[in-house]
Amino acid sequence: MSSVAAPDRTATPASESVRRSRPPGLSRKHREWVAAGLFLAPDVIGLLLFVGIPMVLSVAMSFFQVSGFGSYEWVGLGNYERMMNDPLFWSSMRITGLYVVVLVPVLFCVSLGLGLLVKQKLPGMGAYRTMLFLPYVISLVVVGLLWKFMLDDQVGVVNRAMRAAGFDGRSWLGSPSLALGCVIAVMVWVMMGYYMIIFLAGLQEIPNEYYEAARLDGAGPWTAFRTITWPLLRPTSFFVVLMATVAAITGGLDLVFVLTNGGPANGTALAIFYIYQQAFGFGEYGYAAAMGSFLVLIMVICSAVVFKLTRGGRFDDGE
Amino acid sequence: MLQHGNDAGRPAPSRRRLLTAMAGAGAAAAAPALLSGCGTAQAKGGRLQFWNFYGPQRSPDPAVNAQSAWFVDMVKQWNATHRTQIDLVYIPQPTYLNGFKLPSAFATGEGPDIFLLSPGDFLRYYNGGVLADLTPHMDKEAVADYGSALDSRRVGDKVYALPMEVEPLAMFYSVPAWEKAGLSEADIPTTWDQMLDIGDKLRSGTRAGLVFETNPGYYQNFTWYPWMWQGGGDVLDERGDVAFDSAATRQALQFWQDAVRHGIAPRTLPAAGDVISGFKAGNVAMWQQGIWQVSSFKAYAPDFPYGVFKNPLPPGGTYRTALGGWSFCANAKGRDPDAAAEFCAWALGSTKDESVDRMVEWCTVAKSDVAPRASALERGAAKGGYDSATMKAFKDDIFPGGVAEPRYPPVVYKAISDAIQGTMLAGRSVAVETERAAESIAAYTRSYKGASLI
Repeated sequence: MSSVAAPDRTATPASESVRRSRPPGLSRKHREWVAAGLFLAPDVIGLLLFVGIPMVLSVAMSFFQVSGFGSYEWVGLGNYERMMNDPLFWSSMRITGLYVVVLVPVLFCVSLGLGLLVKQKLPGMGAYRTMLFLPYVISLVVVGLLWKFMLDDQVGVVNRAMRAAGFDGRSWLGSPSLALGCVIAVMVWVMMGYYMIIFLAGLQEIPNEYYEAARLDGAGPWTAFRTITWPLLRPTSFFVVLMATVAAITGGLDLVFVLTNGGPANGTALAIFYIYQQAFGFGEYGYAAAMGSFLVLIMVICSAVVFKLTRGGRFDDGE
Repeated sequence: MLQHGNDAGRPAPSRRRLLTAMAGAGAAAAAPALLSGCGTAQAKGGRLQFWNFYGPQRSPDPAVNAQSAWFVDMVKQWNATHRTQIDLVYIPQPTYLNGFKLPSAFATGEGPDIFLLSPGDFLRYYNGGVLADLTPHMDKEAVADYGSALDSRRVGDKVYALPMEVEPLAMFYSVPAWEKAGLSEADIPTTWDQMLDIGDKLRSGTRAGLVFETNPGYYQNFTWYPWMWQGGGDVLDERGDVAFDSAATRQALQFWQDAVRHGIAPRTLPAAGDVISGFKAGNVAMWQQGIWQVSSFKAYAPDFPYGVFKNPLPPGGTYRTALGGWSFCANAKGRDPDAAAEFCAWALGSTKDESVDRMVEWCTVAKSDVAPRASALERGAAKGGYDSATMKAFKDDIFPGGVAEPRYPPVVYKAISDAIQGTMLAGRSVAVETERAAESIAAYTRSYKGASLI
């Protein structure tokens, strides 16, 4: 007689074992949330500590008159009223607007052009790419000094070249009508390598088959660029426009500081320079915080406009 | 990547454990920020900190090394004879003048115990309540010995900063450029028109005839004031009322504008502002500069022939120059304000020989300056510190017509700076800019609260 062993009632089924090893009340979904939270925590904490809290404190400070020596006096919207009536602030905003409107498109076109050029498979292309990227890794202070010498009125290489070519030299950094253009040109020179690499990465994502098919259909380089490259670069273009806009609004302080110190006649006094000057030159921390908060608001609006115009870099089908 | 279904046998974190872990991570992330916030001026035990832009440092320039050694020796002497110890903290000059280190330190209540201050910053720091009264630590004789050199560092009868030097401005000129243009000492200009004419003769495609400061800032204002004062103008009158909108102001702004408009003065500084290189390379014929350049010439171009002359005058004008110079200050909110103030007085404001000799050493050996104390100036002269033709000219001719650098607060400075920049480099109307600046200063002075602006 065969005997069948009775089932061991003390043994625990596998599913039950798994169930028991879980802490009560924490479902798989919740555990995933916890894991996600733990992964995100370092970034979130860092952002809160070094960006979020300082931003909140900065906005709070904008409602005080801060002496720079420890005294705080509540002024409500006083700093914002002062800002609205400060012609130098609005002048700096106008200069910043001009700077952004010129810098971003020029930087975009130059970087894209370079990206297309360095995508070619030619001998020594790695060296070209490195050389074009090099200005980006140099400190802006060093860049500023370098260009200050090159743009010198009397002995600068630019004016020497112009004189050699039969033209009169110009005061590049001493004329209000030229100085901002020089700052923009130098900034393009610094940043073009970085955005070139971004574009290059975007260009390399586009499958070669598309270009081959277009060639077979008789498309020339311009048609291929217009119908393949440009539409497929949309996410990259969005990133470049957004980053360049944000960098243009909030950056450039060190370059302006070294090249022109905001002059001549406030001609290169970008908003960020004016804010720095008010805070650390004049000890007007509360007023600088108000202007800084306003500038952030402008930046958020600009970013939203860029998002809206480019649909966040998404393709037409929503991908 | 998140793995599913592989967690059997591993205890899942409890909520409490999760919160503990997150709190720990937060604390770890916050620690560096909190710690860095503590690492400022008053971190080290009971030792006071003296922030300055001279030393201790090592440099290929012997003059800079001598200046550093002067600071180091002074602090060493103090530390050897006093219970309260002091540490020197060197901050490079550009950072000290334009950076955020010093203002940030004061804003967070961690300002240095002793520091250097220029007249342009005096009121801001005084009104901020961080300047300790040095008077209780000084003898009346020492205060009298300083004389008018203390005027811009006083509020009422109390002294809040002790000048270590007086630095007058003058016109430096290149002898080779002068000779090349067929000019001699007899052609040294005495009027503004003559100076423009000679500058025009001296200039070339690669040489500026006459250089005025072009960068906006306190220093540019400082170099412009003498031209306004020479015509009898001022920013504020003796009662503190706004006097900026005057014929003398417009005349001085017009003078600089003409120099630039006619191409006699450049729109940017030659040699990126390096005075000695500019002269040596033949890029400059005349440059308005301060007495401190004498020691720079001595260190970097000892054989270069140059000369100095007093500011030329406008029609009917009276000779004036601006007297700059830095001071020692004690932080009233520092670790030990009393000891810091005592140190300032001991170093520069005592009647003892060592204090006077220290100033002589600074003004005639380590640097080239006029000594702010009468006794130190006399002793320095007796020791031969002003025997060279240039230093003698500064002491006997240029310095006596000097006016101390004003202590206007930032809003006043900025209004004047914008008028200078707007007229000089943007070619704007002198009358309009003068009026605009005067209105701006008047609006500020009406609501100003603090120590006297003059």
